[in-house]
Amino acid sequence: MKIEDVVCPFCGCLCDDLVVEVEGTRVVNVENGCTLANEKFMGDHRLKAPIRRAGNGWEAVSYDEAIEETAAILLDADRPLLYGWSGTYGEAQSVGVHLAELLGAVIDNTSTVCHGPSIMAIQEVGHPGCTLGQVKNRADVVVYWAANPIEAHPRHMSRYTTFCDGFFVKSAFRERKVVVVDVRETDSSQVADEFVKVNPGGDYAVLSALRAIVRGKRDLIPPSVEGVSREQLFRVADLCMSAKFGAIFFGVGLTMAQGKNKNIRNAIELTEELNRHTKFTISPMRGHWNVYGSNEVFTWITGYPYAVDFARGIAFYNPGETTSVDILRRGECDACLVVASDPGAHFPRACAEHLARIPTVQIDPHVNATTHLSRIQIPVAVTGIDAEGTAYRMDGVPIRTRRLFYGNYPDDLEVLEKIYRIVREARG
Amino acid sequence: MAGILIKNAFVIDPLSGIKGEVMDIAIKNGKIVEEEPPGAEVIDAGGCLTLPGGIDSHSHVCGTKVNFGRYMSPEDMRAGRTARKGVMHVTSGYSVPTTFGNSYRYSTMGYTTILEGAMAPLEARHTHEEFNATPHQDMLANTLFDGNWSIMEAVREKDIARAAAVVAWVLAAAKGFAIKLTNPGGTEAWGWGEDVQSIHDPVPRFGVTPAEIISTMIRANEILNLPHSVHLHCNNLGVPGNYQTTLDTIDLAPDLNSKRQSLYLTHVQFHSYGGSTWRDICSKSEDITRAVNNRPQVVMDMGQIMFGRTTTMTADGPMEFKLYMLHHNKWSNHDVELETGSGIIPVYYGRKSLVNCVMWSIGLELALLTRNPWQCLLSTDSPNGAPFVKYPEIIALLMSRRFRENERRMIDPRTEHFVPLFAIERELDWYEIAVMTRAAQAKALGITCIGKGYMAPGAEADVAIFPIMPDKVDPSVDFQQVMAGFSRTRYTIKRGRVVARDGEVVVEGANSTIWTKAHVPDAYDMSLDPEFQKKFEQYYTVRMSNYPVQDVYLPRGVRIDTEAQL
Amino acid sequence: MNFLLNTGRTIAQGSTVERKNSTKYCEEASAVSMNPVDMFELMVEQGDRVRVKSRAGEVVMWVRPDPGLVRGKVFVCLGPYANHLVGPETHGTGMPDFKSTPVSIEPTDDPVPSVAMLMRECGGVPYED
Repeated sequence: MKIEDVVCPFCGCLCDDLVVEVEGTRVVNVENGCTLANEKFMGDHRLKAPIRRAGNGWEAVSYDEAIEETAAILLDADRPLLYGWSGTYGEAQSVGVHLAELLGAVIDNTSTVCHGPSIMAIQEVGHPGCTLGQVKNRADVVVYWAANPIEAHPRHMSRYTTFCDGFFVKSAFRERKVVVVDVRETDSSQVADEFVKVNPGGDYAVLSALRAIVRGKRDLIPPSVEGVSREQLFRVADLCMSAKFGAIFFGVGLTMAQGKNKNIRNAIELTEELNRHTKFTISPMRGHWNVYGSNEVFTWITGYPYAVDFARGIAFYNPGETTSVDILRRGECDACLVVASDPGAHFPRACAEHLARIPTVQIDPHVNATTHLSRIQIPVAVTGIDAEGTAYRMDGVPIRTRRLFYGNYPDDLEVLEKIYRIVREARG
Repeated sequence: MAGILIKNAFVIDPLSGIKGEVMDIAIKNGKIVEEEPPGAEVIDAGGCLTLPGGIDSHSHVCGTKVNFGRYMSPEDMRAGRTARKGVMHVTSGYSVPTTFGNSYRYSTMGYTTILEGAMAPLEARHTHEEFNATPHQDMLANTLFDGNWSIMEAVREKDIARAAAVVAWVLAAAKGFAIKLTNPGGTEAWGWGEDVQSIHDPVPRFGVTPAEIISTMIRANEILNLPHSVHLHCNNLGVPGNYQTTLDTIDLAPDLNSKRQSLYLTHVQFHSYGGSTWRDICSKSEDITRAVNNRPQVVMDMGQIMFGRTTTMTADGPMEFKLYMLHHNKWSNHDVELETGSGIIPVYYGRKSLVNCVMWSIGLELALLTRNPWQCLLSTDSPNGAPFVKYPEIIALLMSRRFRENERRMIDPRTEHFVPLFAIERELDWYEIAVMTRAAQAKALGITCIGKGYMAPGAEADVAIFPIMPDKVDPSVDFQQVMAGFSRTRYTIKRGRVVARDGEVVVEGANSTIWTKAHVPDAYDMSLDPEFQKKFEQYYTVRMSNYPVQDVYLPRGVRIDTEAQL
Repeated sequence: MNFLLNTGRTIAQGSTVERKNSTKYCEEASAVSMNPVDMFELMVEQGDRVRVKSRAGEVVMWVRPDPGLVRGKVFVCLGPYANHLVGPETHGTGMPDFKSTPVSIEPTDDPVPSVAMLMRECGGVPYED
């Protein structure tokens, strides 16, 4: 059976034009997808049933037992951490937030090690952005800053920017200039009209230099700023100021490098200054599929996009304190529920060590690094393949994924609701 | 459910012609009924003011830009937070509360129905998700068409029928309720960093004017027989001298519908400025209300501002950028492809700012100078003028000249030279307040047909009982009591169930989402139209099949069906 | 030799991210990319193993050349190998220094551990599927 207009559940692009062929409970072919999509849909490496650690080995366990034990672990904890959420859909995230509320837990999503600093910057200066179609139809200048879309968001350039014609830009290839700013050459920098190579950690200074130029203070610019020549800075600034519609996309190269949220703040303020001359927008390249959805769901329920601490009864938010890496670094949480992400692989070693010390439970379809650190893993249906729900694209556009077939796994919502009911019964 | 009998209620029910009578109200199966149901729970209202559930016909509570207002404002989230208590979830936020925060606060003020003022169709799914997390009010969504390419193309072709067909398809796809135009044409221009300056300015690259868009949509609206009229946020919001644009717009409004207005103008306070700069801005409320008083086909809401901190948010992207250039606080913008825009900035309205004092006066003047309360509804364009929790204070100001005089002493003393407010003696009465906060909303939105806004048998049992004894309170003097009374109902009843008591929500809610489906002949089914399909094939970034909001997002949807005259 | 470690996404990492016990994932996540001139100075060739140390920890990886990198900088895709080296300090931002960890690198004959072995070092119990 061929299913059209399927939504890809891998990255923040949420491409919704895939054609997927299904035989029974197996995907046999994917059209229009990138390599990542193909691997995601065709991948057949799921954990077969719930597992529980038994001494120095593992044993199979029933879903009911795994769920009851998970609830017991959470109920027994003084300071549980509920982490992950980006790989699942909004309805499940919503139950997660209410579970955290009931437990007085900390709940955090993967933006904490992704675009968390972007959120902090947006909270300082705001965010002039737009939906991706606005860029596709209008932009004559696109800047990728500290982002490598060809590796991380493989169809971003062909669906929305470099290679994508739009209503007002009939021939993107000819009419649209692409600038790539990065500390290293990448596949993406090779397709750029202008590649700006910045010294590692130099982004803040380069952004400041561009702001100065946009403000008409060219005479302040030294011959070279963090490895970028004055001439190139002038050229890039002129290109941006003469654009009819410019769009900056930035990656975690800015959020993770020295300066972190201050880099993003500077980039947003550059965008704001450019708006005094022409139209400019800026957008984070959200990586892990529905991470933006987790920000949205957390926000409408708690008021904050991530790192929400319910320990005091109210929702409390203080990145740097209530963020997962910091809580784990301080050895503060005494139980952890991981849903749809892999902190074992993606957090610093010291955090992984604490996850191994405390009872950690993982709800995830696949064996990953966190599996080895956990006490229990509950496999679930893969969102976008055998589970459906709402996801938010990197630009905030909500799309409902399709369920391609009914498999044998329960989905995240079902498992989380069962845990919630047990906890609610106990906590009232 | 055995039902409820409310005894000794001091009832004002304008749509039923009840202007203040002590009587009993019987409720069964979620409806008002004639006869007391056997075994009914008895609520003794003890002569307290009892009104139909409040209806807000223009508020920003759910959706992409509202949530972004929360997302970017931890300082606002901290400014209003409550812990989980009983059935109530944690809430955060003062001017942009979380969805549960909105729902609980509205409910304890007696509100049972809210219209979200602006929903971009492309992002409608988000609005509906938040509607489901706003459990104590029935929700409706104004659907944005101000920069819709298919609409502007139909306007350019002078093809009203096609414009109507586009509206029908989009409303059904977005599960929207009514047509909203926000700075028509201006939001498309903002796609290039531009704006339109009058209703006759052409929209860049489309060659249509705001006036043409407005006129076409008013007629398309009536062709589709939609319950509400076109809901318009005029061009030039917040610009000194903009009253002329507003008057020009009012002149466009034909009288096409015998049951309700043909044009709804929202937050008119922001559109009633004289002068030419921020230095000589003055009130033109007299000109605006004169025009409205002469045109029964126009209804407006106040858009009152109140002093203090709040967050402005609107689909009017260019206006927010202009406002940012004045405030230099923080600015968010979110343009939506082929449809509309939006912007957000936090603001502080100060008693020491002459401009803010003039704005404050204008809102009140609009309500006091509009002869017919059915034509001027109470609103703050929440949270743009102030968060909705300020409504009780606004009611008190409208009911008490003494209260207004007290305020006069606290604001910029130059204000009185720029506004007529302090020469106005009128004090609104209970009946007029009841009209302006529920009955007129129900009529203007066209939702009396589904039992909203009144308490006659057959109506939805949405009732608010306030701790106010109208025969013992003189609102002209006891304005503090009026304010306190409207802030916290004794009982809020929603669809026959007590949902809030004395400031606390007591049950988990289960709201409905009200939307409109206009049935059109197959020849006008846009999903079969090649030009329309091309928009999705080539210009949208979402496939046509993934665009419509699925039924699963409206677990308790109430669909209003209409037949188009096409 | 001292280097500055950068991390990020790669297609191969993304393609194997749901098979973290696989050799393919291990190969990609444990590859340290280096400027060829640095490789020459370190006297290692493509596929040779190196021990990478930081203040936070140490791990054995294998080398591959990348002329797109400037000298003194190395790149490892995000994952458990890179994170064996990244410290947990976030400077009050919640975000570790994923893009700038000072490391020292020396040739070694020791084997590259599997992901499961790395997690055992962190205190976990390997699960073999």
